[in-house]
Amino acid sequence: MTAPQQRREIKIETALGDRPKVEGGEVPAEKITIRDLKFFYGDREALHGISLPVYAKRVTAFIGPSGCGKSTLLRVLNRMYDLYPNQRAEGTVLLDGEDILAKSKDVNLIRTKIGMVFQKPTPFPMAIYENIAFGIRLYEKLSQPEMDARVESALRKAALWDEVKDKLAASGLSLSGGQQQRLCIARAIAVKPEVLLLDEPASALDPISTAKIEELIGELQRDYTIAIVTHNLQQAARVSDHTAFLFLGNLVEFGPTDTLFTRPKDKRTEDYITGRFG
Amino acid sequence: MTTTTAQPRSDFDARAAAVKAVADRGRRQDNIFRGVALASALAVLLVLGGVIASLFIGAWPAIREFGPGFLVTETWNPVTDRFGAVAPIYGTLMTSAIAMAIAVPIGFGIAVFITEICPPWAKRPLGIAIELLAGIPSIIYGIWGLFVFAPFLQHHVQPFLIEAFEDVPVLEALFRGPPYGIGILTAGLILAIMVLPFITSITRDVFETVPAMLKESAYGLGATTWEVVWNVVLPYTRIGVVGGIMLGLGRALGETMAVTFVIGNAHRISASLLAPGTTISAAIANEFTEAVGDIYTASLILLGLILFVITFAVLAAAKLLLLRAQARAGGGR
Repeated sequence: MTAPQQRREIKIETALGDRPKVEGGEVPAEKITIRDLKFFYGDREALHGISLPVYAKRVTAFIGPSGCGKSTLLRVLNRMYDLYPNQRAEGTVLLDGEDILAKSKDVNLIRTKIGMVFQKPTPFPMAIYENIAFGIRLYEKLSQPEMDARVESALRKAALWDEVKDKLAASGLSLSGGQQQRLCIARAIAVKPEVLLLDEPASALDPISTAKIEELIGELQRDYTIAIVTHNLQQAARVSDHTAFLFLGNLVEFGPTDTLFTRPKDKRTEDYITGRFG
Repeated sequence: MTTTTAQPRSDFDARAAAVKAVADRGRRQDNIFRGVALASALAVLLVLGGVIASLFIGAWPAIREFGPGFLVTETWNPVTDRFGAVAPIYGTLMTSAIAMAIAVPIGFGIAVFITEICPPWAKRPLGIAIELLAGIPSIIYGIWGLFVFAPFLQHHVQPFLIEAFEDVPVLEALFRGPPYGIGILTAGLILAIMVLPFITSITRDVFETVPAMLKESAYGLGATTWEVVWNVVLPYTRIGVVGGIMLGLGRALGETMAVTFVIGNAHRISASLLAPGTTISAAIANEFTEAVGDIYTASLILLGLILFVITFAVLAAAKLLLLRAQARAGGGR
């Protein structure tokens, strides 16, 4: 796995490298503040009052066994659950101090600030260029040269430009799985969001594509606040600054990634990261 | 098969023979299966060929008598045995065009509502209502059209249309003349109601095949429901939607009973949509039993052949359109 300037070595028990240390250093700003968040699928309560911060321009990983609510938590952050009438959230989620769960908030505006990438690549059934331009056009009127520049810059940031620059008119569906996923990341960052939500972005990809995505996350964190759901513990250790361990809808432990992985406070966290369950 | 191991060699042979017997039987069954499937496929072609051939033979006296002129003549006179197909062809195309112009947008709207907007509890009742609409026999539509819908149009809608468009250049010609109630417009409206369930239910079904994640991706960019439907759902389901529209159009072109009731059955073309007209299938249904003489019957059969060709041409055009749309959208899926 290639990971140039970011990582020196992979340690034995975890894959903690030389992520920028937060422990003891200055406390980063909170981009998103989640307070006492409860979430319901119909009558079933899936999240039981979760409180945690997502720091600005840092990568926060949500880990935990299947069904622990980590994806649910992510989907609250851009109010994706709004699409489904029997799902609802209680509590507070502040984005830059404003409650995005408030009914009065314009969902579409929130989503332009908070981009999302899904487990499986979901290119739109249109040309590669159009895949990127689609989101931009929703909220901005750009001239053709400006649009070209935006599309190119988004594809460059997603490390996809060199592979597709000669076939921008080809269907997004003609790309390989890994390329499609980077296209989806490019599409998400093209609209200049402030936060990126990644829901197991590499779970459907081969190891090489996964490495590329992880490398990309390292690059993107300079400009974006990133929250990533993953069931791959090594991946969480490699890419994140902070990790939240969720279990059965509760937040068990939250802390700097290297602390959580090397000196977990809670027995359940320790059991999970050492592979005793999950 | 025995499980003794006393004579390993012959046991092995016995097993091999048994396996071979099973494989042989499988191969024989598979051959029979292939044969049946092939026969079914051939049967379709045979029926299709038989229909074309018998239509052609039946229509031959008319083809010999009128030649290509049949297609451009408006006269339809059983007394002098002069026949032409322009009026029914025009009526068929015009009523179908009106039906599609109304049913496609409404069907699309219903499908979008059911799949994207509707609260869950109303989904099933709405779906069932639409399917029931498809189950109403066309004779019912005909009777309802003649006794309820046409008088309603005559008294409440058509006078209003005539007055509203009185001095508007093109529309004035389309909505002119006495409000008969029955006519091309009424037939088109009835057809729209009849094809609506086909278009709606197929559009809804293909809309539901769109992966939730794909829609969420578009919503995740801040797209509105309309933008998601128009830019993501519709391109994704293009083929299915066109298929549904074509099924509806096919039904509209061929629908007989309901149209016969409300179209007025006049072999002439008027600019006004309010005037009576006829369609190919209505003409055949109305006149076949009273057609005397070879030429009259043959002319009606020739009308049937023309309807066959129109339907075929429409389907072929739709296929071509789809292929070109796919090529434009960036090729390979």
